[in-house]
Amino acid sequence: MATPVLATKLYIPPPPPKVVFRPRLIERLNEGLFAGRKLTLISAPAGFGKTTLVSEWIAGGDRKVAWLLLDDEDSDPTRFLTYLVAALRTVVPNIGAVVLDALQSLQPPPINPLITALLNEITTIPYHFILVLDEYHEIDSEPIDHALTFLIEHMPLQMHLVITTREDPALPIPRLRARGQLSELRAADLRFTLSEAAEFLNRMMGFDLSEENIAALESRTEGWIAGLQLAALSMRGHQDVPGFIRAFAGDNRYIVEYLVEEVLQRQPESVRSFLLQTSILVRLNGPLCDAVTGQTGGKARLEALQRGNFFLNPRDDKGYWYRYHNLFAEVLRVYLMAEQPNQVPALHRHASVWYQQNGLEADAIRHALSAEDFDRAADLIEGSLPAMRRSRQESTVLSWFQSLPDELLRFRPVLSVVYAHVLLASGEINGVETLLGNGERWLDTTPTMGVRRDAPADKMIVVDEETFRLLPGQIAIARAGLALARSDVAGTVTYARRALDLAPEDDHMTRGGAAGFLGLAFWTNGDLDAAHRMFADGMASLQMAGNIADAVNGSITLANIRITQGRLHEAMSTYERGLQLAREQGGLGVRGTADMYVGMSELHREYNDLDAAMQHLLRSKELGEHAGFPQNRYRWYVAMARLREAQGNLSNALDMLDEAERLYMSDFSPNVRPIAALKTRAWVAQGRLGEALDWAREQGLSVEDTPTYLREFELITLARILLARYRSNRSEGSLRDAIGLLERLLQAAEEGGRMGRAIEILILQALAHQALGDMPSALQPLGQALTLAEPEGYVRMFLDEGTSMAGLLREAAARGIVPDYTGKLLGAFKVEGQRSEGVSPTPDSQPLIEPLSQRELEILLLFKTELSGPEIARELVIALSTVRTHTKSIYSKLDVNNRRAAVKRAEELGLI
Amino acid sequence: MAYKRGLKREVDQPIFYQIRIKGHLGCLWVDWFEGLTITLEENGDTLLTGPVIDQSALHGLLRKVRDLGLPLLSVNSVGPNLQVNKPAPHE
Repeated sequence: MATPVLATKLYIPPPPPKVVFRPRLIERLNEGLFAGRKLTLISAPAGFGKTTLVSEWIAGGDRKVAWLLLDDEDSDPTRFLTYLVAALRTVVPNIGAVVLDALQSLQPPPINPLITALLNEITTIPYHFILVLDEYHEIDSEPIDHALTFLIEHMPLQMHLVITTREDPALPIPRLRARGQLSELRAADLRFTLSEAAEFLNRMMGFDLSEENIAALESRTEGWIAGLQLAALSMRGHQDVPGFIRAFAGDNRYIVEYLVEEVLQRQPESVRSFLLQTSILVRLNGPLCDAVTGQTGGKARLEALQRGNFFLNPRDDKGYWYRYHNLFAEVLRVYLMAEQPNQVPALHRHASVWYQQNGLEADAIRHALSAEDFDRAADLIEGSLPAMRRSRQESTVLSWFQSLPDELLRFRPVLSVVYAHVLLASGEINGVETLLGNGERWLDTTPTMGVRRDAPADKMIVVDEETFRLLPGQIAIARAGLALARSDVAGTVTYARRALDLAPEDDHMTRGGAAGFLGLAFWTNGDLDAAHRMFADGMASLQMAGNIADAVNGSITLANIRITQGRLHEAMSTYERGLQLAREQGGLGVRGTADMYVGMSELHREYNDLDAAMQHLLRSKELGEHAGFPQNRYRWYVAMARLREAQGNLSNALDMLDEAERLYMSDFSPNVRPIAALKTRAWVAQGRLGEALDWAREQGLSVEDTPTYLREFELITLARILLARYRSNRSEGSLRDAIGLLERLLQAAEEGGRMGRAIEILILQALAHQALGDMPSALQPLGQALTLAEPEGYVRMFLDEGTSMAGLLREAAARGIVPDYTGKLLGAFKVEGQRSEGVSPTPDSQPLIEPLSQRELEILLLFKTELSGPEIARELVIALSTVRTHTKSIYSKLDVNNRRAAVKRAEELGLI
Repeated sequence: MAYKRGLKREVDQPIFYQIRIKGHLGCLWVDWFEGLTITLEENGDTLLTGPVIDQSALHGLLRKVRDLGLPLLSVNSVGPNLQVNKPAPHE
């Protein structure tokens, strides 16, 4: 279920029927719009006519307009994005399907990728439009401020953003101002001038005030529009208008208070009490007002108030929903609190009941909390949990939970346990233990975990019986998550197993999570078969629970395990299945698709199909960031680095690894191929042994180390360093150490079934013996490696070892060892040799007078995709003008004058 | 050092603040600005004075001021004893 979208928030308010025409302001707004500025900021305190001005402006223009009226609940990023898409859909039908999908499946939502996805869609719109974010001061959320900053920076020309706010938003306003991208109106601009005040009072409101009186009002209110409007409301029907003005002008009281009092005094009691009592409502309609006031005729009353200019604005076309001007409502609430404080909770409770009866749960909960009727609120919250969880508004749910008293939670096991899960999901572990205890104290602690017989069951309160049934498993899985968050692998295993025991067959979410936790633990311990089995089970459960994104994410883990096991074909089919799953689910935009292409690229590289490897990487990039998990950003660069290495471009490979290191982002998976070790291998290949040895020292690596799976890759790297050192200085002792280490590594890898690793170790053994001149000892492990590698089609594993390996393979071929495969590999060596004799694409020797910079190479690479200039800019998070500068430079260095020619030339030169 | 001291004080006890706004507020507002004394100055300003438990409570107060469109003139932290010799509070 998606977040229910209230149409009242998207309603474009029409300019009031009687409005002072303000050409000086309209002109400035138009200027900013037509000058192509990105943002119009209207920042002024309450009551300065911000919204009215914008509605007047857009009504007079011909651009399409999307409008979003914000409220404090929109500080929840999921809700904000949902409404943003809903608002955009009023001008761009069907935009943001990918975003809504992602909001369903990902928590927390990856905001910038989702904004990028929206912007990409906007780029293709053939018309201009304006998005108005009304009352942005309601937003109190750094992620949303950041998202909006990102949106403004990358906003396509089609779009113009308008923000109205009572305080300057946390956006880079000075920067926008300095770049001429900001059009701005502030309080000083918005105040009514004397002539505007005169027009308002005499022409619009129908008074016949003298210049002197107008000047007195203007000066008392300082042109504050709400003040003048209230004054007009107070003067209506007043016997002695000049007397009123004199009194008002001579008084120091807060204008709104003074005038609201004037207005209230002049109303019949029934109107007065209607105004006060309904001031608690954010939105009003007839039946809701009737419910709150206990009267009838609310609808007619609202219509009369609107006609009488009582600061009541329609919020839809049908005249159903209304909203008080905030300032007016605020002061009415103060009167209500002062005059009838004891009645306020009851009013909120009435509102809560009405909302509940009309299926608007969130509003019902908000009013129950305002009424401090926590039992009612707790009942409502528990009842709405399934829907809220589906709509993924976790921060809204979290704020509800936080308003509930601790004591109440002790009697509500379901609420407590769900609260614990929400806390864990938001990365908070404090308080989780207590909440789980709240749940457990109503349950039997024996393995069956039924309801305790001796529990004072009359005191326990459960609304959601369905979730209560699942509680034992959910408590256990929360504890597993807690253990994992504390890096306690043993605890994770214990609780995950318990969760599997306790969760009923149909609780797919819990079962999937538990299997995933167990899989991670086995993987960390190097038990790959068990890990694979667990992950596969977990994925199946998650899929059944409808959590496709996590199921797709699991494919990456499964394939990684298969690669380590030396089962490349199975790894490839795992990626293919992941891709298929994503496709069935909603096209290529689904998260994880980009990750599958990166994984497949690495396999193609191993098969020595470097073109296919490159194509897959480009495809992944084309899909955009939103199609990948956060870790895909660094994995992409790792895969590219490995491809560069295969192409012989080591320094570029190192640049890519630096980038990968910068983007590295951990997930719960063990880091079994650290980027630093990959960099060290590249140094070794470049002959930078000093740096490589420094790395080994910093890591505390030693040939004496007991091989564990977690350090395996690093220890193999150490063996490589020692082998290279022997080749350069013939220090035999360290090579013997390396051979001993390799022997132990091999044994551990074979015991753990990590045949992919075993092949590499065997190859290194062969190379070490070869270096010592002991050919028989070299051929024995080589033969084993060839036998293991042949069925899986490994090529680069051998090719990457260079000429020494070619020599070994020739010896093997001469002795008829795995002859077909050996022949094939030697063929690959030959092709590689011819290629590198042609043009050497080594970075350090680009065949250009002026070599391309790293950034230029990246852009050149993106030229191969279908991405447009602005899209490339967005992809690299740089300004379009910067892309253009680089492009010019690329053209001049390659001596071409268009994109296609640049790509062709660069390919000829082996640069990409 | 000064920074540290300020921080410590905030942790230990509420700070007294004095918020000056333009225009007089009636007695209605006593509950609205919970816990603060409302004092009317002769020049037409209003002082809201009293203990504020922490920074987020202070910002909450300022937000209330903002939402009423009240012109904010100053915000000062004051010693607790300062509020003793105030002019007569609002009737």
